[in-house]
Amino acid sequence: MARYVLRRAGQAAVVLLGVSLIVFALMQLVPGDPVRVALGTRFDQETYDALRARAGLDQPLPVQYAQYLGNALTGDLGVSFRSGQPVTASLLERLPATLSLAGVALLIALLIAVPLGLISATRSGKVSDYVATVFSQIGVSIPDFWMAILLIVLFTSTLGWLPPSGYVPFTEDPVDWLAHIVLPAVTVGVVSGSILTRFVRSAVLESMGQEHVRTATAKGLPGSLVLRRHVLRGALVPILTVTGVQLATLLGGVVVVEVIFAWPGLGRLTYDAVAARDYPLMQGAVLMFAAVFLLVNLLVDLLYAALDPRIRY
Amino acid sequence: MRVSRWSTALAALVLTTTACSGGGESVDVGGSGSGGADASGAQLVAALSAEPDQLDPHKTTAYASFQVLENVYDTLVQPDEQLEMRPALAESWETSKDQLTWTFKLRNGVKFHDGKDFTADDVVYSYERIIDEELSNAYRFESVKNVRAVDDTTVEIEVKRPTPNLLALIGGFKGMAIVSEENVTSGDIGRGPVGTGPFMLDEYVSGDSITLTANEDYWGGAPELGSVQFTFVSEPTVALANLQSGEVQWTDNLPPQQVEALGSDGTIETGVVPSNDYWYFAANQARPPFDDPLVRQALAYGVDREEITEAAKFGLATVNQTAIPRTSQWYYDYAPYSYDPERARQLLDEAGVENLTIDFMVTNEYPETISAAQVMADQLSEVGVKLDIRTEDFATWLDDQAKGNFDAFMLGWLGNIDPQDFYYAQHHSDGANNYQKYSNPEVDRLLDQAGQETDDEQRQELYNQAVEIIVDDASYIYLYNPDVVQGWAPELKGYTVRPDRAIRFHQASLSE
Amino acid sequence: MSDQASSQAPEAPAAEQRFQTLRAVLANRLAVVGLLVLAALVVAALFGPQLAPYGINAIEVEDRFQSPSLDHLFGTDELGRDVFSRVLVAARVSLQVGAIAVGISLVAGVTLGLVAGFYGGRIDDVVMRVMDMLFAFPAILLAIAILAVLGPGLTNAMIAIGIVYTPIFARICRASVLSVREEVFVRAARSIGASDFRLLRLHILPNVLAPIIVQTSLSLAFAILSEAALSFLGLGVQPPQPSWGRMLFDGRGFIEQAWWMGVFPGLAIFVTVLAFNIVGDAMRDALDPKQRSVIESRGQS
Repeated sequence: MARYVLRRAGQAAVVLLGVSLIVFALMQLVPGDPVRVALGTRFDQETYDALRARAGLDQPLPVQYAQYLGNALTGDLGVSFRSGQPVTASLLERLPATLSLAGVALLIALLIAVPLGLISATRSGKVSDYVATVFSQIGVSIPDFWMAILLIVLFTSTLGWLPPSGYVPFTEDPVDWLAHIVLPAVTVGVVSGSILTRFVRSAVLESMGQEHVRTATAKGLPGSLVLRRHVLRGALVPILTVTGVQLATLLGGVVVVEVIFAWPGLGRLTYDAVAARDYPLMQGAVLMFAAVFLLVNLLVDLLYAALDPRIRY
Repeated sequence: MRVSRWSTALAALVLTTTACSGGGESVDVGGSGSGGADASGAQLVAALSAEPDQLDPHKTTAYASFQVLENVYDTLVQPDEQLEMRPALAESWETSKDQLTWTFKLRNGVKFHDGKDFTADDVVYSYERIIDEELSNAYRFESVKNVRAVDDTTVEIEVKRPTPNLLALIGGFKGMAIVSEENVTSGDIGRGPVGTGPFMLDEYVSGDSITLTANEDYWGGAPELGSVQFTFVSEPTVALANLQSGEVQWTDNLPPQQVEALGSDGTIETGVVPSNDYWYFAANQARPPFDDPLVRQALAYGVDREEITEAAKFGLATVNQTAIPRTSQWYYDYAPYSYDPERARQLLDEAGVENLTIDFMVTNEYPETISAAQVMADQLSEVGVKLDIRTEDFATWLDDQAKGNFDAFMLGWLGNIDPQDFYYAQHHSDGANNYQKYSNPEVDRLLDQAGQETDDEQRQELYNQAVEIIVDDASYIYLYNPDVVQGWAPELKGYTVRPDRAIRFHQASLSE
Repeated sequence: MSDQASSQAPEAPAAEQRFQTLRAVLANRLAVVGLLVLAALVVAALFGPQLAPYGINAIEVEDRFQSPSLDHLFGTDELGRDVFSRVLVAARVSLQVGAIAVGISLVAGVTLGLVAGFYGGRIDDVVMRVMDMLFAFPAILLAIAILAVLGPGLTNAMIAIGIVYTPIFARICRASVLSVREEVFVRAARSIGASDFRLLRLHILPNVLAPIIVQTSLSLAFAILSEAALSFLGLGVQPPQPSWGRMLFDGRGFIEQAWWMGVFPGLAIFVTVLAFNIVGDAMRDALDPKQRSVIESRGQS
């Protein structure tokens, strides 16, 4: 087991290194010079050169990359062109908003997916299965940004029940926090929930087909007991796995939603950094997303290995 | 102060800006104040369309930053509502006979927010910082030879040549603010600026809000308001909803299509004032057939400015065929063109141009360029000209503009005050921003002369002559001056909308 | 390709399999509706400009914000353009992006997957690690980053989406190759001295096609969704060319006065994506019942 953990962690580290190289390379290819933009329409060569030198942009690329990597390892992701603030600090500042959104969205997704998936699997072929399938098909197909717009029009403009956008920290006012988080979290949650529903359904179906479950049913145990004791337990591992993967994708999926709901999270920060051509910030944000993504996937893999006795190393 | 300065602000398009919050009732930050606030003073909540990138006045180029900093910093002189330069940190000034030395007498007893005295050294430090570090406003000191402190309350500026617009250069906006050296060297200025202005920074919550509290010791008198909180709301409809529900009392981010209706119902006050900004398009005279004035004039006749203005600005702009708006003392009424497709076709015939296709560059940084271009494309198709719209992000756009990689482009110049700023860099053969490659020796001569002329009437006359030629040659094809549009709750008193888009809450108050 | 393959024996006769697939798909009534919707979309894409009642860039400022009526079925936008005409014509962009982007990921992903799965060893390691790296980004974020490099626009959006969806094709293809590689007929062909290329083309590729076809159909849905999202963020299709995502982007500020600007383009995206998903699912059920492609690919979007 320890060797497995090490090996997987090692792999993840290699991938992350590659990711950092990709991100760095991408940023080098960006057309439009950030220094040029900082100077606006007023431009003169001297100022330009001075600014470039100050940002270290006059060094050869491998040197720039090595420096970047070395600093990144010590948690220093550089300084934002726009704000002059350390990138790491800016990212950490935005992390709670994104985590809270992703967390609530995941909760909503599970609240949708587990009951729907169970119903649809246990009543396979019946009307409720059909309804659940249609729901998840719709959820997978609906553009999240469009759903966000419709929700805003309905709950804000028409009914006036919820604020259209913005963020209030939980610690400041829990009720207000909730009012603000509902719409974005529902948007993300419904889409994720639709995907999860299908997974839960197939996991439960698979689990119901297993030997011990069929034995239990044959022994005449009541259906609900079989479901609780055997089916759910068998389905738990795959569901947990997908949920983990979903959490990782959720963190990425919130980009668009954060933009629409003016949610001060990482996604919005990334988007703004792209719009403003703030290289260091863009680099840091994309790297951070990838790192979180890899970390969650790694944890899920390890958890999966730990939970499923059939897996050997 | 060029386009870049306002770039964040004007890209108030829903998605392209940093913004957030203000959606809810997070109005009260009571208790978190770090002192200095008058407990009884009311708090004004103002919704900006974007979040400042940083609060170092010398380094930021974002309009949102200046909206906040306008209330935190002072300049030596500052424009009044008619944009005439008035005393601020300098009480008075005089120029030497040869016009080459300006002497400023500073206000006594002014203190920075941290309690430190304001002296002539701070002025020298601030100006030298801009010049030596070659910050983006360094060009404003282009004619300045030397800045020195004569004594604690006297500053002397030596210029290389007579510079009649020096006051506008050093006082035009808060990018020329007097900063505190300690604040800079400590590195705090980006998030915790220390100025001499009517309000001081209290709290900055990234992505959420910036709170200022009243500076009771302000040299211009303590503000009525106890504090001002700036929130960031990128959606105009949201900002309006917040204003209507009373969560905010002021915003400059109203949905343009609703402004007319809003003014009439009385629950919200709107202020609409013509600004000093102007929007135009220009053809690349280094590329045939645009080197032919007839072709450029054809374009000037081929567009319907009224319709463009209505489409892009919902009427919240005034058409103009020169740069300087009607409200300015430098306005010159000259409008030779009209919307005349027939005339446009004739001119193209005369120039021997057929099937003209124009590679027209616009930027998503300023969505109005995209709307306007689409309208112009429709109009110009009437005269047989095809407008190929190329939308670019601003960085690429600027690159292409600098390289002359375009047939034509549309953009605006923002926040200019002095006529020299309106015309020199854009139309002089040596102008730094003459990207359309216009060159007319007569215009060069007139602009050179006007730049050094100290008599205002003489200057006006020289500019008028230059402008006539520029417009006739269609170096720029001017379109409109947009309005400054702001809305506020009726309880807000003592606030005025200014043509330079500076928002000052020093005199404002909130009645119950 | 499969005709030639059938002469080499021991796999299912392709023609018959195709017929069965078709029958299975048609048996699913939902899938038939989906197919009809797709057919209508293709018509709109081909003949949109001819069918549209108004020019897509015919600006009538005085007619702006007209609500839906017989004159303007979907109303007019902020420049007085007919929304119905624009939605209709935009179908072309959506299908075009879908087809080309998925074409890119299909060709690139399948090639990489074939090579990695067939040769194994170090090649496999390198290729799949690179795919892992691309996979380590949330899809939309990677697309945004690529567009930041290439600049916004239709072509670049297609390239970005194509790159983003390459790894999923590579993975699926590789996994299928691994399962086919040691089959008797492949070993038999190898033993009689068939070249690698011949093996890949005649024996392996035809036998890994099913999951790839399913993935293609589902990826079309996600590619269209991605294009809409990118255009909605202002990074995809640029005006004056109409695109559903961009129309929503432009209509955002006016939705309170003109709900139709927000509803119809979104509905068009939704219906299109739904149709592709339904057809894709039906094809999966018919071709490859074990695969969980929607979930896998959506998990990455």
